[in-house]
Amino acid sequence: MSEESTQASSPVQVRIWDLPVRICHWGFVLLLPVLWWTAENSEMRWHMRAGTLLLALVLFRILWGFVGSSTARFSGFVRGPLAVIAYLRTIGKGGDKTLGHNPAGGWSVMVLLLLMAAQTFSGLFAGDPFDGATGPLNEELGIGFSADMTDWHEFAFNLILGFVALHLAAITFYRLVLKDRLITPMITGTRERGEIAGEMAPVPAWRALVCAVLAGGVALWAYYGAPGLF
Amino acid sequence: MVSRRPMAFALTGIAAATLLASCGDSAGDEAVETAEVEEAGEPDAIAQRQELLEGMGDAFTVIREQLEGDGDIEAITAAANTINANAALFIDHFPEGTSMSSGADTEALDTIWEDPEGFAAAHQRLLDESAKMVEAVGTGDLEVIGAQVMPLGMSCGNCHDTFRYDDEA
Repeated sequence: MSEESTQASSPVQVRIWDLPVRICHWGFVLLLPVLWWTAENSEMRWHMRAGTLLLALVLFRILWGFVGSSTARFSGFVRGPLAVIAYLRTIGKGGDKTLGHNPAGGWSVMVLLLLMAAQTFSGLFAGDPFDGATGPLNEELGIGFSADMTDWHEFAFNLILGFVALHLAAITFYRLVLKDRLITPMITGTRERGEIAGEMAPVPAWRALVCAVLAGGVALWAYYGAPGLF
Repeated sequence: MVSRRPMAFALTGIAAATLLASCGDSAGDEAVETAEVEEAGEPDAIAQRQELLEGMGDAFTVIREQLEGDGDIEAITAAANTINANAALFIDHFPEGTSMSSGADTEALDTIWEDPEGFAAAHQRLLDESAKMVEAVGTGDLEVIGAQVMPLGMSCGNCHDTFRYDDEA
């Protein structure tokens, strides 16, 4: 999180994404194809390991949404339907520039996070003990619950794909029509100031460490069958 | 555990789109080729046996779910009959060249064709246990039915262990 040095380059750069946000984002990008591939090819051990990692990242991102830097916080970007409509109306005029997620993009983040949370949760219970691999909590809440979770797990992946497709379409639209590059800032954490007002308020790095320990701990605990709970 | 090829198409598409969006590189051609190979290498037999086997799996879930809760004997009877009927049918859909190593979208191992006696014996065990389940259901006694769940389930798992690719965790 020390991009101060890069700000010397000519067009004025402004920080918009902290390092944890970027790690989460690209972690999701890497893990979703891995999870799809391992499931398609019956590599269920790796599917569950990757799924546990995704669970940890999702939990981390949720915690970071409460205690992270200003652009990471849900309170900073989750807006009501009127704000979303107002924002969408500005798109015809080139789009209102926001420091961080715009009101429409904020909901894209929330939906994708929620879907990935539901997907990792259902994965913990999915499967059939007589028919291949089972999630670590498969036998804990009954056959019926596990069967429902298995169905949801298979179905909901299509929802995730749909929202990922929408996300990519939006990025392409911003790039081609609004001439706004969204991918580079998600890598570097900074973008050209342009007409964007305000600053990202960072938070100390130790908060990320605490969140990482908590999220990783809960994910591993679930992976090992949630001892103490069941 | 079931393949969903539409997802495969969609995901390769999205993977390609990601590459396009991020670095302007074209990965589209390769994705299309992969999809075509999968399509050609997958005869109908695989779809048919998978449908029958999945039907058995779903029916077995119904039995266990009913034993856990409502104990609806009609639902259990229908499920046991489905298992018994499908068990006799799916075995006819294993023509040569439809194993996993043929590149088709299946988990059927070569051992099915390398060890036909072993495969037949495993199938017979399923037929026996499935017939016993139908008998147990005939008594209408949930405890008798419950006692047959494990032997029947083991006869499924027994075959999966040896003749199906199964990366269990």
